[in-house]
Amino acid sequence: MKWFIFAGKNILRNRRRSLITILITAVGTAGILIGGGFALFTYESLQEMAARESGHLIVAHRNFFTSDEDTPMQYGLDNVAGMKKRLEQDNDVRMALPRVQFSGLLSNGDKSSVFVGMGVDPAGEFYTKGPALTVVSGATLSATSKADAPAEIMLGTGLARQMKATSGTVLTLLSTTTSGSLNALDVAVCGTVSVGVPDVDKRLVYVNIATAQRLLLTDKVSTLSVYLKETRQTDLKRAQVSALFPEQTVRTWRDQAYYYTAVRNLYNRIFGLLGIIIVVMVGFAISNTLTMAVVERTREIGTLRALGTLPQQIVRVFALEGMILGGAGSLCGMLAALATTFIFLFADFQMPPPPGRSVGYPLQINFSPALYLLTTLVLVLLSIAAAWLVCRKMAAKPIVEALTHV
Amino acid sequence: MSATITAADAPLLHLSGVGKTYRMGDATVPALREVSLTILPGEFTALMGPSGSGKSTMLNICGLVDHPDCGTVELDGADMGMLDEQALTMIRREKIGFIFQGFNLVPVMTTFENVEYPLFLSGIAIEERRQRVNDILAKVGLAGLERRRPDELSGGQRQRVAIARALVKMPKLVIADEPTANLDSTTSSQIVSVMHNLGRIIGTTFLIATHDPRLTLLCDRVITMNDGVLQ
Repeated sequence: MKWFIFAGKNILRNRRRSLITILITAVGTAGILIGGGFALFTYESLQEMAARESGHLIVAHRNFFTSDEDTPMQYGLDNVAGMKKRLEQDNDVRMALPRVQFSGLLSNGDKSSVFVGMGVDPAGEFYTKGPALTVVSGATLSATSKADAPAEIMLGTGLARQMKATSGTVLTLLSTTTSGSLNALDVAVCGTVSVGVPDVDKRLVYVNIATAQRLLLTDKVSTLSVYLKETRQTDLKRAQVSALFPEQTVRTWRDQAYYYTAVRNLYNRIFGLLGIIIVVMVGFAISNTLTMAVVERTREIGTLRALGTLPQQIVRVFALEGMILGGAGSLCGMLAALATTFIFLFADFQMPPPPGRSVGYPLQINFSPALYLLTTLVLVLLSIAAAWLVCRKMAAKPIVEALTHV
Repeated sequence: MSATITAADAPLLHLSGVGKTYRMGDATVPALREVSLTILPGEFTALMGPSGSGKSTMLNICGLVDHPDCGTVELDGADMGMLDEQALTMIRREKIGFIFQGFNLVPVMTTFENVEYPLFLSGIAIEERRQRVNDILAKVGLAGLERRRPDELSGGQRQRVAIARALVKMPKLVIADEPTANLDSTTSSQIVSVMHNLGRIIGTTFLIATHDPRLTLLCDRVITMNDGVLQ
């Protein structure tokens, strides 16, 4: 404690210099925490979007992800109702949604356009999509089709614009069936949607799963998407579901989230590099301050050594000074980062749309105790190391030399 | 001159054939030449001589803050040349006090803390530290100034703090390098008197480099140095 008090008093010798060092450390800490918090928020948002898009787990035929099909639904799943029932018996599973993936041509009579379609269970699908899917006009698909009316279809906004379609417009879907022949189906537009990616919105089609099966002449589905109550249970549940259906393959949302993985890798490098630069800057600031202090106090170090202070005790005092400077700076930086986090939480700042997307997203900063702890620990340890580096030679300098230092 | 030193006393400090040479560029400057000296316990010894005569080098070697190039230094019967830096530090901590010409107080510490520091290093309990510091401060006439920092004290008061710091651990030897050089004549007299009286009370041996004749009047022995040789 005595050493700590001594170190604290030494820091107050040159208050302006210490204050500047603390400020530099605080700005560095806040920079790391705000940048890191933003990256974490982005990861979390993308993770949620990815999980909403694909489901936490995707159960498919074992060749579905690795081989190209000769005909549509060659690697589809049979008896999906039984699988769905078994999966939904698990209390950790929110729901299991079958999907039929198909593609073909969409025609309004005057012109045709390529589409990428998804046959879905409307009741669950639009519930789980949440903010990942925006209904721009009209309504979502009905749970059941009317026998005397064309099947319903939802179009991506870009595709609807190409087809000059609005709610009620009747279009024709043309696709290849499971036997390789062509089949056509009249459908009526019930609404338009956007996933926020213009290139996807130009091709996107949603129909009821029964409509898709009718078009493809099959009772199979492409995949069964499993939505969990907790994303963190993904890996555990993957193992359980794999054991439950050993004939099928089970992938996680992470395996399918190419955009999430790419952004995460990019951000990790960008923010990691920035973090290293900031840490080095803080290290320089603290070592510069302590170098000046060591030089100024050379005679005093000589006196203390003459009085019986061991070199390691001198180093300890300077290390404590570094620790206090680094700790105080980190604390101030943490408070600044916390304040910024709260301001951004309530201020509703928006980020511009990322490349390839049409909608922005809220600028928010996650509060991560682990990040705060790690950053503080790194900066405090760095401060101690910087202090040790700058004073170890001086502490071991011959006493007579130190005492005669001018 | 009331020292009760007898010839039978074992020497506290014994230097035998001590030499020290400094290198200044290409030239070598001998600071001490084959110096031999014996200081008995309780002696109040003055070391006089012109600047550059080797007084400070002699004090540094006697205070174990410098090493001789040749010869032996014995303190309390132990050969100091056999000890490593850590052991020498521990001996300085326990047995040697220092009084510097420029006071060399720690500016961020109060009077009390400056004096307490050697006791803290020795691991003495806080209650005992407090008592001993207050006692010595009273003896050097600084009672009531415990909370002042060095920049709030006069030159004479600072040197009293330095004396208290040197004596508070009741060392066997005090090395004083021109302790009155930066003080006016009245203050010098007071400081000399304080050192002498406390030295006698505590039984500490003093080795003092000085030009001050008032100080030498109180000494048991005056040694003169010239060109690194004892006269």
